[in-house]
Amino acid sequence: MLKVNQLVSGYGTVQILNGANMKVEKQSIVALLGGNGTGKSTILKAASGLIRSWKGTIEFNNEEIQNLPPHEIVARGLVQVTQGKDVFPAMSVTENLRLGGFILKTKQKLKDNLEKVFNYFPRLNERKDQLAATLSGGELQMLCIGRGLMSNPKMIMLDEPSAALAPQIVLDIFKNINRIRKDGLTVLVVEQNVRMALLLADYGYVIKDGVINVEGESKKLMYDESVKESYLGGTKANV
Amino acid sequence: MFEKFRLGKRGENIIFTIFILIYVAYCLNSPDMSFESFKTVITIGLSVGIIYGLVALGISLIYTGLDVVNFSHGEFFMIGAFAGLTMFNVLGNQDWIFNLFPEAYGWIIYVVCLFTAFVSMGLFGVFIERIFLRPLTKKGGGYTVAGMGIIICGFGLSVVLINVAYLIWNPVAKPFPAELGLPMEIGGLFLPITYVWMIFVGLFVAGGLWFFLNKTKMGLGIRAVAFSKDVSNLVGINVPLYISIIFGIACAIAGIGGTLVGPTYQVVVFMGYIILMKAFAAAVVGGFGNLPGAIVGGFTVGIFETASSFYVSGSHKDLYAFLLMIIVLMIKPTGFFGVQVKMKA
Repeated sequence: MLKVNQLVSGYGTVQILNGANMKVEKQSIVALLGGNGTGKSTILKAASGLIRSWKGTIEFNNEEIQNLPPHEIVARGLVQVTQGKDVFPAMSVTENLRLGGFILKTKQKLKDNLEKVFNYFPRLNERKDQLAATLSGGELQMLCIGRGLMSNPKMIMLDEPSAALAPQIVLDIFKNINRIRKDGLTVLVVEQNVRMALLLADYGYVIKDGVINVEGESKKLMYDESVKESYLGGTKANV
Repeated sequence: MFEKFRLGKRGENIIFTIFILIYVAYCLNSPDMSFESFKTVITIGLSVGIIYGLVALGISLIYTGLDVVNFSHGEFFMIGAFAGLTMFNVLGNQDWIFNLFPEAYGWIIYVVCLFTAFVSMGLFGVFIERIFLRPLTKKGGGYTVAGMGIIICGFGLSVVLINVAYLIWNPVAKPFPAELGLPMEIGGLFLPITYVWMIFVGLFVAGGLWFFLNKTKMGLGIRAVAFSKDVSNLVGINVPLYISIIFGIACAIAGIGGTLVGPTYQVVVFMGYIILMKAFAAAVVGGFGNLPGAIVGGFTVGIFETASSFYVSGSHKDLYAFLLMIIVLMIKPTGFFGVQVKMKA
């Protein structure tokens, strides 16, 4: 579904990605792992059009999407969910979700999707008239994912859904990610929490210094020595 | 070494009290203390204030949407007044309108003028934004980064627009003789009807903007873009288009302000500058970037200015807006409504 070929990109003049290759099959959950500053989020930002790709291609549904404006990438069904706190704090939960469905043409679709999101995350329904600024960390993350789901995407890219959350909430969110996949979406998860991510995902990529270092079935990666190596100094993949 | 001379909170309070006492003494010393004149002062203050408010609204809107202060906004106000006047001169010669509506002839033409100013300034604003401001953002990556360049571009635009208007309409002050009817009597007070138009059309425009921003889908998008360009991108909003729309709306509102002022005062090439400065003061008083605050700030500045020039001294009329701005900044640096919504930690 998503194919990244020899992608080179970065911020300003600083090159972060040095030719990354990866592939996400339809209706799968793929984990993209790596330490801080290795280029995990950069791949996502390049795919969603927030930064320019310098070289290489990104294909989505057999169509090259690199360097398209972000709103056109969203319209094609590829949505990025940023790390937790990127919501509109001065707006209510419902307004935040309505913004997620901004590209929808009819009100009926918006209503249906709102119901769908409340079905995934009943907590959001309880708090739908509250300002987003008053939500807790876990609820913010739910709101971000929910907002991503509002536009009827084909594939959703999650940037560290477990960052700074309690284990119980992480488990809850990961269960929901699994449900989202079962309902027909493709999911790409960027994570630092290696163990949780590999338990969730079908396939994993480990990125180091801007290139994909190791890849494989997540069950194999769990016991892979080189994955542990990639995390030396960080979190170890100890199962 | 200056620390020795700092007044501290208490010293400031004493100076404030002395200042306010002097001001009140000046006011009480005024020869005309009747309630009638007080009502006149308040009404004129409100009508001037709504004009400051409308321009401040545009400045605040551009500030929240584009993260820059638009220093050429007064010129959009001035050109808006000329656009309204031009339309007025075109329609004023048409006999058929008079034959069609012999009763409501004057105000129908005036409404058309207001509408012309609104639409033409909106389109003109989008044009200016696309041609002059947008290229500056190409290198820097967005309006926030290119901020200083855009502020200087704003000053330059202001000079250019004044001189273009000078070439087209020459510097002679022009009357705008809109026939809106006889002065109106409100509470034993005879007011030129243009003041009433200023207040009501101004409030109508401000209310319309509130409705547009809070109740429509496009308004929701504008609020999103104003808060964060990145997140707006991710939910599929066409951010460059929305930035143009924000700029266009701000300029359209300034254009309406210009046409509203026209019949009361006169239309001159140089009318934009002082309005910009006072609207800036109004925006600061209300809380910079806060839209209801802009209108409230406009009213405050308008009433304070009119009252001061009536009771204290009319020869320093342009001073009071900035005096008020300084006082408000010292007491509450965020302005009346400058509250930030903070994230829960």
